[in-house]
Amino acid sequence: MAIDQTMPILVVDDYKTMIRIIRNLLKQLGFNEVDDAADGTEALEKARNRKYGLIISDWNMEPMTGYELLKEVRGDEDISRTPFIMVTAESKTENVIAAKKAGVNNYIVKPFNAATLKSKIDSVFGE
Amino acid sequence: MSAKPDSKANVDNEAVAVMGDLISKYADRSREDLSLMDVMSLAENMADTMHEFFDTLDATLYKEFREISTSIAEMRTEVGALRPNDIKNGRIPDAGQELEAIVETTESATETIMSSVEAIMSADTNDADAYQAEISDQAIKIMEACSFQDLTGQRISKVVETLQFIESRISRFSNAIGAVDGDVELTEEEQREEKRRQDLILHGPQDEKDAIQQGAIDNLFD
Repeated sequence: MAIDQTMPILVVDDYKTMIRIIRNLLKQLGFNEVDDAADGTEALEKARNRKYGLIISDWNMEPMTGYELLKEVRGDEDISRTPFIMVTAESKTENVIAAKKAGVNNYIVKPFNAATLKSKIDSVFGE
Repeated sequence: MSAKPDSKANVDNEAVAVMGDLISKYADRSREDLSLMDVMSLAENMADTMHEFFDTLDATLYKEFREISTSIAEMRTEVGALRPNDIKNGRIPDAGQELEAIVETTESATETIMSSVEAIMSADTNDADAYQAEISDQAIKIMEACSFQDLTGQRISKVVETLQFIESRISRFSNAIGAVDGDVELTEEEQREEKRRQDLILHGPQDEKDAIQQGAIDNLFD
């Protein structure tokens, strides 16, 4: 499927600088419609109020983690098909396996670079 | 403790019996009827009885008490050498302040660097001279911000020194008292936090040797 660069993307991270970094990288990749949220709860509310083409989320946040957000999204019929990429410092195999089992589309370990982000987005959209 | 000879035990019993008789006798009287001589007599009998009692303590028991006393004195010395108040009131709070300062310094530097990068990314390229001046200006700001590494390096060294100090004191204390780790029950809050970490698979960043590499992750998604 071709990537629609006008699609809104939701970036979820409790670290403002990381949101800023991802936002700038997405901008470099041609994605200018970027929203952000500081944790899973805020993200879930936004995802239910706007149709996002992609959610990029950190794992370790409070009160709702990215892992919980992923399961909530996959369990909500209205938004369950939203592509979801986990970008996190949680780098144990069990995390990756649990995320995959919960329905994540791809998984990026921090620190990462622009090329990795681009390749994972391409991969999610089949390019 | 060695056994007392029977004759000694009989003497003790007799002395205690005399004490009991005296106390019963005086207990029947009102306070006004007791003379100073009565009280002195009771005290004398009590002293005799205690003397008999201490006489029965043999050398082994005395030695055991001495050893316990010596151990307590040594323990007091080791607790003092641990400098718990210095650690609790000085070194740990100081280390905490250093770490907070590190967070603030790195945040400030990151903010400066990010702003400069964003300024470069959005700089107008139509005017080559202005563009070059903007790039140079922002590059200098980035270099200046990178000086945070020197400051944070020094602060981190101080925190490491504190950890080494605490480690050496605890190690010495542990060896001195022959400490063995016991089972400590977690508080309710600690139990909740531990359960949350397990349920939500929260490990935090891993050492490179323990972390799964991006290539291995990619293989799982191929």
